[in-house]
Amino acid sequence: MIWLGNMLVSPGEGGVYGERTLDGYRVWDPYRSKLAALYTLGGGVELTPEIRVLYLGAANGTTVSHVADYVETVYAVEFAPRPMQDLLEVARRRRNIVPIMADAGRPDEYAPFMEGVDLVYQDVAQPNQVEIALKNIVFLKPGGHLILMLKTRSVDVRQDPAEVLAGARAGLERHLDVADVRWLDPYHHDHAAIVCTLRE
Amino acid sequence: MLQRYWFGDVDEEGCRGAGTDPAALAGRAAELRTGMESYVPIGWEAARDCGVVRTREEYVDLLRSVCTVLARQKIARAYQGRDVELLQMVRMLDELDNVINLLSERAAEWYQVTNPSFSRKYRSLPAKKMLAIVRKGARGGLSDVSDEIERLSGARSRLMREVSARADEVMPNTSALIGGLVAARLLSRAGGLATLARMPGSTIQVLGSERALFSHLRGGTPPPKHGIIFQHRRVHNAPKDVRGRVARVLAAKLAIAARLDYYRGEAVPEFLEGAQARIDEAGVEA
Repeated sequence: MIWLGNMLVSPGEGGVYGERTLDGYRVWDPYRSKLAALYTLGGGVELTPEIRVLYLGAANGTTVSHVADYVETVYAVEFAPRPMQDLLEVARRRRNIVPIMADAGRPDEYAPFMEGVDLVYQDVAQPNQVEIALKNIVFLKPGGHLILMLKTRSVDVRQDPAEVLAGARAGLERHLDVADVRWLDPYHHDHAAIVCTLRE
Repeated sequence: MLQRYWFGDVDEEGCRGAGTDPAALAGRAAELRTGMESYVPIGWEAARDCGVVRTREEYVDLLRSVCTVLARQKIARAYQGRDVELLQMVRMLDELDNVINLLSERAAEWYQVTNPSFSRKYRSLPAKKMLAIVRKGARGGLSDVSDEIERLSGARSRLMREVSARADEVMPNTSALIGGLVAARLLSRAGGLATLARMPGSTIQVLGSERALFSHLRGGTPPPKHGIIFQHRRVHNAPKDVRGRVARVLAAKLAIAARLDYYRGEAVPEFLEGAQARIDEAGVEA
């Protein structure tokens, strides 16, 4: 990852969403992007030029554009038509983004387009986030990583966020090694990042 | 074991490429269904061996073109439904209401300081009526602004009629039970006719009162009896002690109406007759 002082940045063509640039780098704001928050807090998986990423819940392509600045190829999956329009525009200007309009909970819809990836990153507002993640580890190469951004409020607003996290962790541990779990405070409330590794 | 990928079919004997035309590949890929039990992600080299591409760059470029074509088609299909525009219309209408109220209040405040002897006390003068007075008495910027507010109100009324008419057409059964405008607001809150049609009556009953509902679920407060459907006269005119029952019965019938609208798309008189009678019955005090 590239840091200017304590500021996370990414190399690439700017102007995607009005982000600031510093010394020709695009500032990756932890308050806007949960992935940036994870890196700023000292966690995450190093993004390198040779890795391939499956990004679930790509939305408007804001975070996707930063990830694409670092890695070889990003498969960006988004379901809703409105954000998909924006994502297509981002993908048009970044040659390493493959925009896929599909439901992350239905990997069979996009499996014919996929290759093995080194990292699955998931940020979806669904109650069954863990189930969706487990359906998608079929795309992970051995030793690959999963970063799950757990939106505890989407799972169950009535339940204590800490309990939601414990439940999610237990669900993931049945199939993956959980390497790191942390809350994204002060950048994002009631959001936790769970970093897992696929067993070899 | 035959595996089908976007660029062609692969099995033990080899690979059959499906050409290099993005539109044709997209048409073929749209039909692909994968059984996930036997699925293995494939390397791009398979497409090269297939003769579809020569390099990794070509592979990603072609794949991007195919996926973009597919996504564009899916977006177009999603926007095709008649309810999609209705959703935007009703949201614009509600936003116009907000803006017009805000501007009228502000104009009224302004007018009062230009006319020290003026007071709204003891006159039932909502900001809307006040606007006529402001327009007569004001000069300069205030006069310009109040003219614009008046025009905005005109646009709002026309849009309201359009929303009503469109709702009658897109959701005839729901509109018949609760009026086009409220029906459209339910649609807007649900996010689409498909979503609304899949909601149980109990959810439709409290659509729009999410704050009260979640504060109830978290504990303590009483549950809301009605959300958006309160705007319909049958609910807000009902005597207080039967209002909850009217809301519940109406919502249950609305759930059926929304399904008829989504799956049949035309008014069903037999259903409407029974439903209207049942809702009226709920409003009669025991």
